Amino acid sequence: MVIINNNNNNIAKVKTRITKSIIWMIMILFAIVQFFPLVWVINFSLTKDSQVFASNILVMPKPPQWGNYALAWINGAILKNTLNSLMVVTVTIVLTVLISLTLGYGFTRMRWKLSQTTLTIVLLGMMIPIHTTLLPNFLIFQKAGILDTSLALIIPYVAFSIPLGVFIMTGFMYSIPVALEEAAVMDGCGVMRIIFQIVFPITKAATATICVMTFINNWNEFIMAATFLSSSKWKTLPFSVYEFAGQYVSRYAVQFAVMVLSALPALIVYAFLNEQITKGVTFGAVKG
Amino acid sequence: MHKVLGDKRTIFFLVFPGIFLMFAGILFPILMSGYLSLTDMQDGSVAVFVGLKNYIKIFTSDKTFWVSIFHALILGVSLILIQHPICITFALMLDKIGGKAEKIFRILFFVPCVISVVVTSKMWINILNPTFGLMNKLLALLGLESFQRNWLSDPKTVLGCVMFIIMWQGFGYGMLIYYAGIKGISNDVVEACKIDGAIGIKKFFYVTFPMLLPVVKVSVTLAMISALKQMESVYLITDGGPGDKSQFIANYLYQQAFRGFKYGYANAISVVFVIICLVATGLYNKFIKVEDI
Repeated sequence: MVIINNNNNNIAKVKTRITKSIIWMIMILFAIVQFFPLVWVINFSLTKDSQVFASNILVMPKPPQWGNYALAWINGAILKNTLNSLMVVTVTIVLTVLISLTLGYGFTRMRWKLSQTTLTIVLLGMMIPIHTTLLPNFLIFQKAGILDTSLALIIPYVAFSIPLGVFIMTGFMYSIPVALEEAAVMDGCGVMRIIFQIVFPITKAATATICVMTFINNWNEFIMAATFLSSSKWKTLPFSVYEFAGQYVSRYAVQFAVMVLSALPALIVYAFLNEQITKGVTFGAVKG
Repeated sequence: MHKVLGDKRTIFFLVFPGIFLMFAGILFPILMSGYLSLTDMQDGSVAVFVGLKNYIKIFTSDKTFWVSIFHALILGVSLILIQHPICITFALMLDKIGGKAEKIFRILFFVPCVISVVVTSKMWINILNPTFGLMNKLLALLGLESFQRNWLSDPKTVLGCVMFIIMWQGFGYGMLIYYAGIKGISNDVVEACKIDGAIGIKKFFYVTFPMLLPVVKVSVTLAMISALKQMESVYLITDGGPGDKSQFIANYLYQQAFRGFKYGYANAISVVFVIICLVATGLYNKFIKVEDI
């Protein structure tokens, strides 16, 4: 009896090991297919321009043409555009967090008649396609004289980030007990102080998720930037790739280098914050 | 307590800034769209009220509009029938494999989602380039020269290519959501399966899939909505062409507005677009409510 059990166990173990190896192989294969385009771009960003026309699928760059990256860095205005993106996205994140916090508190704790109706309308904002606001906002910003300034990006970015921020914040606030706040009120503490000194520190997790999601959703944003900006002063990182042509039309390797450089900042952030980003992305859908 | 929480002034200070920004950034523009859609406004000209003329044109004689909607439907159905099953399969495999590999692959598969759509679009334009692109080279390597073509100019392949690129980029996102759903299935259920001998395919169809159903419903609806909203990839890769072969509604709207300068007409498309999205959302909420009961 004992021996048979052992045998069964062994068979089961071998079976799971085989299944796992098969899964490993499928995953690796799929990852290769998924990543090959990226590898191809990185590979040819280091070769001479003409090498892309050779029949080889990948080539050994010898020597690697690091000069491509120097040209890309300078002529793609990578630094300026990255700083612009950083500025716009940072302001957007700070405003979104502040507004989500105050709105969240207003919706979950304060007592007023239209609270739930207003919350529903705010959340509905998630379903509005940004593209439907492009034309009217263009006309409004033109009238207001803020077309082609960073404000023309920050206003719609924040407006479209609020619904998700409020969704995350209200979900979190409903789950924290009010006892602490009640005690603070007894001690004569005002609502603003309660929010910033008691609630804000407790909602760290929600705040982190909002920061990460606002970053992910706005860092790579392109169509609003393309519509509302025209001079190069405020242009954001996606423009480095979009506008990189002119004298470099046939310099494919340099173009590929610009693509790699533009993708890097977000990839670096992802490398450090992947746990947070995973949590943020799955938050809404699983709670659903 | 009640007095403090019911204080009108505090409520105003808390709620007003956010509501004002959303009003300025989203609601007011849409209302303005609604008004301008009833005019024949063009760039620089004075808007003349024309009533429902623009809407009548959309519904009766605008072929491109309906082609765009049709493409969104094809994309939505493809996402649901092709991308999502792949996402679920990989989410299940990821859950099964465990250990370090689980984490590594989860991180890897999401990478295309953090790369700017401008970069990925340009990358795919190069890959599908007829003279030096990776795609035609690969076909040559496999001895399939007869399949080589100018992928993005060929009316037969362009829509497929655009949809493939959209699915390629969105795969990690879909997988992650299903993966989180699978992780959310409680351990008790998993243990009970083991004891009752429900494993493999049986376990999937009788236990895992039914428990995933809420997540499936959410992501299927989101797939439909995201198919409707599709724009950036299309704008950057083909701009809807050749002809209308890869046209999508948001891109069409953009062309009418910023290249045709038909502001009135573009706004009418905008309004119809918002209504379609809200109807889709309404259906979605109905779905979810049924689940709650």
